[in-house]
Amino acid sequence: METRNIKAEIESKIHDPILRSNLENFSQQYPAARAKAYANVADIDELRDDLRDMKQYSVAHVEELADEFQTSLEQRGGKVFRAKDGDELKKILLKICQENDVHNIVKSKSMATEEIRLNDYLEEQGLRVKETDLGEWMLSVAGQHPSHMVMPAIHLNRNQCAKFFSDELKEDIPSDIPFMVQTARRVLRKEFLNADMGISGANFGIAENGAIGLVTNEGNGRIVTTIPPIHVIIMGYEKLIPKTSDASKIMRLLPRNGTGQRMVSYLTLVDGPTPIIREKNGEMVEENKKVYAILLDNGRLKAAHDPVMKEVYQCVRCASCLNVCPIWSTVGGNVYGHIYSGGIGAILTGLLNGLDEFSQFSDLCIGCRRCTTVCPGKINIPDLIQELRNRQVAKKGLSFPEKMIFQKIMTNRKVFHSLLRAASLGQKPVKSGKFIRNLPLFFAKMTEGRSLPAIADKPFRDRAEKLLQNNPANPKMRIAFFSGCNLDFVFPETGESVVKVLQDIGAEVIYPQEQNCCGKPIIGAGDLDTARRLAKQNIAALEATNADYVIAACPTCAETLEQTYKELFKDDKVWLERAEKLSKKLKEFSSFVEQIYADNGRLKNTAGKERITYHDSCHMRRSLGIYKEPRELLKSAPGYEFVEMTGADQCCGMAGSFGMKYADLSIQLLNRKLKNIKESGATTVAVACPACMMQIGGGIDKMAPNIKIKHIADILAENLGDN
Amino acid sequence: MKKICHEWQKYLDKGFIDKNYWPAFKENALAAAVELHEIKTYDEALPIINKVIAAADAEKIGAVNGEDYPELQAVYNNLGQQYQVYTDKFTIAKNAPSIDIGISTAEFGVGETGSVCVDNYAYEARLVSMLPAINIVFMNKNNIVDTMTEAFEILEQVFDRGYTGFVTGPSRTSDIERVLTLGVHGPSRLILMAVDKTE
Repeated sequence: METRNIKAEIESKIHDPILRSNLENFSQQYPAARAKAYANVADIDELRDDLRDMKQYSVAHVEELADEFQTSLEQRGGKVFRAKDGDELKKILLKICQENDVHNIVKSKSMATEEIRLNDYLEEQGLRVKETDLGEWMLSVAGQHPSHMVMPAIHLNRNQCAKFFSDELKEDIPSDIPFMVQTARRVLRKEFLNADMGISGANFGIAENGAIGLVTNEGNGRIVTTIPPIHVIIMGYEKLIPKTSDASKIMRLLPRNGTGQRMVSYLTLVDGPTPIIREKNGEMVEENKKVYAILLDNGRLKAAHDPVMKEVYQCVRCASCLNVCPIWSTVGGNVYGHIYSGGIGAILTGLLNGLDEFSQFSDLCIGCRRCTTVCPGKINIPDLIQELRNRQVAKKGLSFPEKMIFQKIMTNRKVFHSLLRAASLGQKPVKSGKFIRNLPLFFAKMTEGRSLPAIADKPFRDRAEKLLQNNPANPKMRIAFFSGCNLDFVFPETGESVVKVLQDIGAEVIYPQEQNCCGKPIIGAGDLDTARRLAKQNIAALEATNADYVIAACPTCAETLEQTYKELFKDDKVWLERAEKLSKKLKEFSSFVEQIYADNGRLKNTAGKERITYHDSCHMRRSLGIYKEPRELLKSAPGYEFVEMTGADQCCGMAGSFGMKYADLSIQLLNRKLKNIKESGATTVAVACPACMMQIGGGIDKMAPNIKIKHIADILAENLGDN
Repeated sequence: MKKICHEWQKYLDKGFIDKNYWPAFKENALAAAVELHEIKTYDEALPIINKVIAAADAEKIGAVNGEDYPELQAVYNNLGQQYQVYTDKFTIAKNAPSIDIGISTAEFGVGETGSVCVDNYAYEARLVSMLPAINIVFMNKNNIVDTMTEAFEILEQVFDRGYTGFVTGPSRTSDIERVLTLGVHGPSRLILMAVDKTE
């Protein structure tokens, strides 16, 4: 495996203006194009469920389907092989070529063959191989790899394409798109007519009759499977489906999600040998083609029997997870594995090429979960990536600094918290107001384009005792406040706002001092043992309060306490029970308060002077499903007028430690967010997540100092005097 | 002509087709850049085809499946008086690279997508519909099914071996700067003659 410098690769993509504008335009247009394609479908989710269910059945029966497919195709005169990996497949294919005296091969898109770098091998064997999809052909000429599974050359512009054409054809090709397309037609037509073998992939293989389906817009799939006298199908086991009618479950979603089309130009179905007519010894004769199929394993069958990872079989390679991914749409697909890009690509690379290759770029998934809202097969992409990270850590362990911080420092609350206090003192020389604007030397990258929040002089935990003296005399409920690290050490004033708002609705608030970090950064890094130790500390501390509810004003903490702890203890009956009890009591702050305000008739739309907009935290919106409630609270906040911004639910780029590790990339996401905030005309942006507050606040501090950022709790607390 | 099924109509008539699906089919086909002509008889297609031939300066035509539709065969015969029309599969195969216009047939349309289902088991049917720059397709206007779900339910009954599929407009690419360009490897024009003989 080659060791890559991912940070340098990202750096070069960030500074590629062609790539950036192509991706920016596409990702802006994609959601509307997809929605338009689905406009004549009553219930998208029903179609997604049908696809998922069919694929889940298929993976559960993958060996039977492979046997049935083989029997069906061989009964009809084809020959089926199975290859456990790329090397075996190459041997089988070379033998077929030799037996049939093959010299010229045309291919239509098959990602499985790119996965095993088949073309390089065939060329080494002296065979002529031509990709026939226009984008793939251009890239193969240029020696580049596809940056997207459906739009392989999306990172290029017409001038770059024209240069590849000119170099390959040794003639001067102008950068006129229709002319280039016609040139490709002319050049590749010759290849088709001279080919003695066509290699295709398959979008699906039908077990009951041995047919395959091929999806293309250009029509190369049809010609590759028609003209050459030999057809070799190379497909992964994940393409097998039971029946012909199951194909519609793929086809109603794949084109709509992939390219915003209701159907592709050509859906080709080939079943067994079909006739061809060609000249033999001066006479036209009709005979049947030879058909071979090679089923490629290369890690797929192992994945099929993996209780978690088998979900990848639900993928139909539409690439919509890339189209909505904030990272892909900033740096493109080439920073991932060599063929499969984006979130699903990271998973496939991990399963097919190994975890070492995967771990080089696995943290490019920031867990924003936008992909889960569009995936036709309903794959929980971020969760599968997390699972692979966990396995890599279990196998290889953490890096030394991470190990030190997680296992020795964070699990010891007193040490952790005294270090944070020390940081508050240590930052004094660089601090300016609430933010650290410039860091010296090699830390400078982190403060380029944004300020970092300063650690507060006095953490929330030291302010709690005095604050809790204002608890109501006759409380209606008892609430334990879980602050999380950010509200404790970075934004303690917001922590105070939370308590004031809760006291105002009649709650007695308790702040258990024994609470520690929720553990999310450690879980994200894959160190589950350490995470369990933290979880136990928090569960015990919160249980001891005997509260009716546990409130978190950080969606990441809320998600971790409510959902992740249960998963951490799924094999520990005693702690699972305790985690479940906590889960039931756990409420996210803004949705909890909104419900009570609604019950008390406190939600009245107002139109104040100050325009305010709201940024959805990824975890809040897509993990907790909370997005209406904060808006309702803002609409009724006196003094404000609520306005929506474009892309309110797009990630701000913080995403836990990602924002620090990939500072440059994080800033690109932040800039997009700042642009949308400014364009909304709002002078205040509200958030419900302290991590987003840190990121967006830091960007505003440097680049839009007239705009204020506030946590919803702060806005609600401002208005308490009025009631 | 070799086909995956010689009784498509029998299966279509099992409650799959309905005139009500036509408006959706028309809308989606037009959106997919199909050039649609609604005609009542096959010979109404003649002047349209003559115009297409003249505009494209076409010389050679490859035409298939006349044997299943005598009225279509009459159209071919008529065109043959003026132009070089190949209807024999061997002649089509021999001349395929230089054919300017291909004429073929479709079994049914799909309302949801504007696609037509083509039975292309015969090699000559694949050649005339894929290699020339223009493909003219004849289809019974009344044979429209609702969605891809129904389309594949039909295929499940008739598709045992061979070559079939769905065509939705002309060949297209957006591989360079996502600019839509028609006619990459397949035809740049798909002209659909929807023949409604019941009116």
